[in-house]
Amino acid sequence: MNKIKTIIIEDEELSRELIKNFLKDLEDIEIIKECENGFEGIKAINELDPDLVFLDIQMPKLNGFEMLELVDQSPEIIFITAHNDYAIRAFEMNAVDYLLKPYSKDRLISAVSRVRQRIAAGHDKSHPEPDRDDTINRLIRQPLGDNLNRIVVKSGTRIRVIPVDRIIYLEAQDDYVMIYTDEGKHLKKGTMNHFEEHLDADSFVRVHRSYIVKIDQVSMIEPYSRDNYIMKLKNGAQIRVSRKGLKNIREKFNF
Amino acid sequence: MQNPLLNNRSSIVAYFLVWLIVICVHVVLSSLYAGIPVHVAIGEGLTVNVLFAAIGLGLWFPVFYGKPAGEKVLNFIIRHIFACLSAVALWIVIQYVILYSMFGSETGYMDYLKRSIPWKSVTGILYYWLIILVYYLLIYYTNMKNSLVKEARLETLVRESELNSLKSQINPHFLFNSLNSISSLTLIHPEKAQEMIIKLSDFLRYSVANKDEKLTPLHEELENINRYLDIEKIRFGKRLSVHQIVDDMALDMKLPGLILQPLIENAVKYSIYENTEPASIELVCKPQPDVLLITVRNQYDPEMKQKQGAGLGLQNIRNRLKIMYDQEDLIAIRKEVNTFEIRIVIPQNKSV
Repeated sequence: MNKIKTIIIEDEELSRELIKNFLKDLEDIEIIKECENGFEGIKAINELDPDLVFLDIQMPKLNGFEMLELVDQSPEIIFITAHNDYAIRAFEMNAVDYLLKPYSKDRLISAVSRVRQRIAAGHDKSHPEPDRDDTINRLIRQPLGDNLNRIVVKSGTRIRVIPVDRIIYLEAQDDYVMIYTDEGKHLKKGTMNHFEEHLDADSFVRVHRSYIVKIDQVSMIEPYSRDNYIMKLKNGAQIRVSRKGLKNIREKFNF
Repeated sequence: MQNPLLNNRSSIVAYFLVWLIVICVHVVLSSLYAGIPVHVAIGEGLTVNVLFAAIGLGLWFPVFYGKPAGEKVLNFIIRHIFACLSAVALWIVIQYVILYSMFGSETGYMDYLKRSIPWKSVTGILYYWLIILVYYLLIYYTNMKNSLVKEARLETLVRESELNSLKSQINPHFLFNSLNSISSLTLIHPEKAQEMIIKLSDFLRYSVANKDEKLTPLHEELENINRYLDIEKIRFGKRLSVHQIVDDMALDMKLPGLILQPLIENAVKYSIYENTEPASIELVCKPQPDVLLITVRNQYDPEMKQKQGAGLGLQNIRNRLKIMYDQEDLIAIRKEVNTFEIRIVIPQNKSV
């Protein structure tokens, strides 16, 4: 029988100890690495290609979700956190389970058996688990109303955390989005619609199918052709504005 | 409700004083212009007006007792017309009987008395409505005074509850994380688990006990903060270090309970929760003339944007200090390249 290669990513030592302690009787679980933060986590996942990751959400600098955006592999994830407000996002990311601290040994073991089922089913992750317990179901129905306040990107082996304040504008590039900041540009996998939805609507505006601009970076807008406008930014960049984009801007600026 | 005219001595005196003036005017007018002998005029003036003064006190009953809430205007008018006519009729009949028995032999006066009945009736009706008006004004005045008192009391209540909700609440995530650490310790270090449970319990007890707004000596606040920091140290180990510089003279100075807790929690949050490297927090408490000066300093990463909801804790402290000391500038925040410093000033000459 193949062992389930497992990584624990959690910034508190006692919390890691507890997971190990609960797992020690499970013979099919092999802990191959323990990580104290998200940066170590990315490296470990990419290098070791684990089957299962126990992941804390609240970690310094790079939280569990941001970390997952940056890994190439897709291991099974069991989130472990004291916060009950991340459950929706966790399951959106196709987590196997979401354990709320403090949790019992039985609870952890049932999460692991869910992992075994998933692995046995041949890594078919397209179907959400039907047998979530009531707590989880209740949590999933809670609305999630927070804006994105930072974006993590990978450049080579380095990981950058970009506070949204530093963004000047975003440009669509196929399956990627180019993020222009005051110190350079960064490529990130994602769609314009995703960013439009999650960036603070009071500071960002979609001006074109391919552009989202930070409102306070706009310097002027002038007509270009019949249905098109050109927007000049404070840093000198020029951006195309569509008719719909102009309408969006009008609404934001109230003119 | 008691008759408001009889409520206190001054209103009784005022009531009879007014009637005394009316009696004087009545006597003067009837002796000078109606040509009635002075002794008869005095007798009539006294009888007529003392009688109405007595009836007037009784008019409180139709005003107060016949008053179902939300009464229709029509009912109100009918009730008072009925009461008015009965009161005036009673007044006319009794005065006629008394005056007849006193001055029945004075034929000229008896003629005058008979002729005076119509205009006396009119006067009586006027008196009735005047007295009723005074009663309603008094009721209105009392109600207004009561509602003002109620409003003032409500305001203090609101202020108190506002203070309570502004007070730092125990952060549930801190609690759940600590419980998880305890859960872990029970398996690997049972004695340490016990120690942590005791610390956590003391911390909770202190937070719960300090629900009412009162001033606490600094050393009690510091003990509680140290319990909190001990718990966080168990969770974060070497990542958290704290330097406290506390002047002995400051230990007995007073400050609002649990006001430091959110400051320290904030410092831990930004230096430890958001930092992979070990970080330190500095707490300085200094006595100064008439004030206690407290400074909390921590490192933070300027790259990390403040999360929504952060800063709410500081706003709460600002509001609490403002409500308690009625002063705006008791809290100051200073951000440098990578240190964050909060200074609060607690006035010492105030007794709350």
